[in-house]
Amino acid sequence: MKINFQRLFYIAFCLLCFTALPAFASPGPTDALKPTLRDIMDVINDPAFSGTEHREDRREKIMSIAASGFNFGEMSKRVLGKTWRGLDQQQRGHFEELFTKLLENAYIGKLEDYSGQEILYKDERIKGKRAAVSTVVKDNGTAPLPVNYVMLEQSGGWQVYDINIEGVSLLRNYREQFKSILRKEKFEGLIKVLQEKNASFLEEES
Amino acid sequence: MQQGTQNALFLLLLFLLLTCVGCAQQKTDVSTLGTARETAGGQGDEMDLLLSDDFFDDEFDPADEVYDPLEPMNRVFFEFNDKLYYWVLSPLNSAYSTVLPVDVRYSIGNFVNNLAAPIRFVNSVLQWKINDAGVVLSRFLINSSLGVYGFGDPAWLEFGLEPKQEDFGQTLGYWGVGEGVYLCLPVLGPSTARDAVGFAGDAYTHPMVYFVDDFWVSAGYYSVSRVNLLSLNPDVYEDLKKYSLDPYVSMRQVYLDYRRKKIDDNPSKLRSDNAL
Repeated sequence: MKINFQRLFYIAFCLLCFTALPAFASPGPTDALKPTLRDIMDVINDPAFSGTEHREDRREKIMSIAASGFNFGEMSKRVLGKTWRGLDQQQRGHFEELFTKLLENAYIGKLEDYSGQEILYKDERIKGKRAAVSTVVKDNGTAPLPVNYVMLEQSGGWQVYDINIEGVSLLRNYREQFKSILRKEKFEGLIKVLQEKNASFLEEES
Repeated sequence: MQQGTQNALFLLLLFLLLTCVGCAQQKTDVSTLGTARETAGGQGDEMDLLLSDDFFDDEFDPADEVYDPLEPMNRVFFEFNDKLYYWVLSPLNSAYSTVLPVDVRYSIGNFVNNLAAPIRFVNSVLQWKINDAGVVLSRFLINSSLGVYGFGDPAWLEFGLEPKQEDFGQTLGYWGVGEGVYLCLPVLGPSTARDAVGFAGDAYTHPMVYFVDDFWVSAGYYSVSRVNLLSLNPDVYEDLKKYSLDPYVSMRQVYLDYRRKKIDDNPSKLRSDNAL
């Protein structure tokens, strides 16, 4: 009888391990997204990083967090579509660097205006290797803003590759703009426009 | 002067004709797009819509998603609106925002929205969204009385009735009218052939036309509501310009995405919240 109990316990333990392991190994999309957004908001709300004098440090810190939660490579690939396939490794790297910089300039600059917001996680839907996570950003005084994240599962776990607000997709928006520029000015022209845009942010800051 | 008005009329006619042709051509494109989304979407609710088109992947070329044959003309009007914004609207807004505190501006916004309730009611009914129509009606009654002529929004704050947005453009889309050519209209901003017709239709469901006969009073009312709206969302246009490489394309995409979502939304709403 005693042995039976031990065996039962052992089996139960093994079962627990096997079922629990995958959950620890790869968190779902929402669980992958939560710490990223929380850490970014923490940096923005951190007094040690606030103010214009800490901008460099703050940006660097935020981008290092974003790099794990957001898939900038996938964003670059998808935003260029067909054009991406015709590029060599060096061009791809160059484009990714410029596009990531643009996103940094545009959206972190915007995020820095916010503070004290609360993010509510509403829903999650997984479809193959892709997932959608819907959140609502609550800020005092203003209407709640629904922000949806579209994510992709790769070896590194779930990472965001698109943000969708009220049906407006960040990636699709840039994709259409790039397409219009590529049609007229080719890849070299697009690189030039991107460099100019990024430079304009630098000018504004100084 | 008369020659000028005649020319303007002729241009307007030509323009309407063009948009109608565009409408007829586009209709098939958009309807096939709709079915593609539906089959890919499965249940077709909001979450599925987010995942329905993975057109960033390989073969699918979304070249036909935007129908903008009037781009050269639209760009001229876009530039015009841009100048209008920086030379007139923005300075006007600065003065307006200085004079009126934000609470007052919110109240004015509430009043303007409340007065437009008939548009939302009629279009909720026309799309067979009976629950939404009920919400619109309740909101109108509560806000007009408890909210003091619509300046407050107790319907949302006290009764939890969220505002609905419906217009004739959405109704037309709901019943399968394609969006037609994209338009960037002077003063009015981004639109499509369908939504321009919808906008004109909405003017006749707005109580204004039945009580005020003077064009300039209506125009004044529209201008104030426009500046008021801008004063409550001061950064929207400037952010769009700041973050985009081609603001014209960016705005076009924002407008089309936003409108398509508003209309794509409907089938699921029809099934779930609004089942009779």
